[in-house]
Amino acid sequence: MSVAVQEHGGRWIAWSAAAFVAAALLLPFVGPSPLDLARVWGREAPDWSILVQLRLSRTLLGLFAGAALALGGCVFQAMLRDALATPYTLGVSTGASLGAVLAIAFGLHIGGGVSAIWIGAIAGAGCVLFFVLGTSIRQQELSPFALLLAGVATNSVCSALILLVYGLSGMSASFAIARWLIGSLDAISYGPLGVFMAVVTALALLIVRRARAWNLIAVGDQWAGTRGADVRRLMRFGYVAGSVLAALTVAVTGPIGFIGLVVPHLIRVRLTADGRVLMPCAFFLGGVLLASCDALGRVILAPAEVPAGAITACIGGPYLIWLVRRQA
Amino acid sequence: MLGLSRVGWRAGAVPILEDVTFEAASGEFIALTGRNGAGKSTLLDLIAGLRVPTSGQIAIDGRPLSGWTSLERARAISHLPQTVHVQSPMTASQLVMMGRYPHADRWFESVDDRQAVDQSMAECGCLDLHDRRVATLSGGERQRVFLAACLAQRPAMLLLDEPAAFLDIDQQLNCFELLKRQARAGVLCIAVSHDLNLALEFCTRIIVLSGRTIARDLPVRDAMDRTDWLTHFSSRLERMVTPDGRARICYR
Repeated sequence: MSVAVQEHGGRWIAWSAAAFVAAALLLPFVGPSPLDLARVWGREAPDWSILVQLRLSRTLLGLFAGAALALGGCVFQAMLRDALATPYTLGVSTGASLGAVLAIAFGLHIGGGVSAIWIGAIAGAGCVLFFVLGTSIRQQELSPFALLLAGVATNSVCSALILLVYGLSGMSASFAIARWLIGSLDAISYGPLGVFMAVVTALALLIVRRARAWNLIAVGDQWAGTRGADVRRLMRFGYVAGSVLAALTVAVTGPIGFIGLVVPHLIRVRLTADGRVLMPCAFFLGGVLLASCDALGRVILAPAEVPAGAITACIGGPYLIWLVRRQA
Repeated sequence: MLGLSRVGWRAGAVPILEDVTFEAASGEFIALTGRNGAGKSTLLDLIAGLRVPTSGQIAIDGRPLSGWTSLERARAISHLPQTVHVQSPMTASQLVMMGRYPHADRWFESVDDRQAVDQSMAECGCLDLHDRRVATLSGGERQRVFLAACLAQRPAMLLLDEPAAFLDIDQQLNCFELLKRQARAGVLCIAVSHDLNLALEFCTRIIVLSGRTIARDLPVRDAMDRTDWLTHFSSRLERMVTPDGRARICYR
């Protein structure tokens, strides 16, 4: 790596982090009803509580959910050596969706302070991860090809089951399911949000700390193995950490697409493929992108809200096609 | 420095290698030859620590390989797989810098690491490719960059799986010349090769794998004078002597 990239690398990470903080401070002020700054300053109702109880928590959720998806994308793209891999490639998100959809269909809305949707989503994701990893291990070796196949198969089975549950459930439940499946950010109480942010931050630190090893993995297993990386342990960690990020995020927001694909791809093409810069930048900018899409969704058709998942797909899809065409 | 004793490896129940025993010292340049499927790549993988022998033992400097951590191995051994696909848009120098992984524990590499990269690239004649993207390089350029990445590891042992495959004749000669220089400088080089004339010209020793084990293990000096080892490759090979007295292998 040249000196220039090292110096720029530090700067890029700093800029991305600054954008992340700026988004956290500014985006809560974006919304259908304008906030009066003086009343916010005086902590007067309702402006103060709208800002803190609704918009700030929602912005933080968007920032950390987007960050988790983008970083998870980086990890899966390195491990599977496939630029189209996402944190959803292994079917984890469809599994999480199935769990959540079952929870909605059976009307299990509240379970001891934690939403039953969360528990359903995490249980579903866990089952899928366990199953997919289990079927792909042969002679103690994880085969990326078997993983991809098992992931694709699990994806379609879970999707079919979701449709089945959707068809069998009543009107109100099926509306709630459809709404959830689009993927959106909603106000969230600070307790679960704190847990989510803490887990995402901890996993991100563990993942980014291994950035030099992910660089080796991205070239090849043999290449990494004879340059000092413990490939087997690294892969096991990567699949579990990446899937936990995806499962948690799906549990709180529903399946939001494209962040895990577009953000790493953009940084790789525009800045660098070096994981030491790519991964932190993807973390911060993924968060900024999702939180911004959500803020846009709040105002674009106000008073109606467009779910963040719909906006990321509408922006992400055409952008990706443009990027690929420009390269070719 | 390298010692294999009765090494065997099976894929499930199928034996691929059995009873492989040899020793090699620093400065040797060994051509590992044999027909397709003879187990050449498997043997190289076993020595590199990418696979674990199902029987027997491999030792480096008297220490069993099974006791080495992957970082310790990477500081001593560099292995170049037959094909490396680089998909991400990375530059040649970034790829070569990966050879510094086992030596650097800092987040960004030091000035020393960068010097080692430049020096290795200069040795392999690819310093001019420093900032080119790997994906845009020709086959010969790419192989020089991969070799530089191996040298940047500063290994005591270089293991190469068909380093001359896909190269034009001039590049093949350059590649083996480079490995010969490394061997002269004290590195143990083991290269899988199908080209017996390259082996006779540049290597110091030829190991022929056949029937799941070492069928012949000859110093090149002996291989030049004999023809009995050629039957392991094809019945249509014969030895000729060029007007200036070098032995060459031809086909009928």
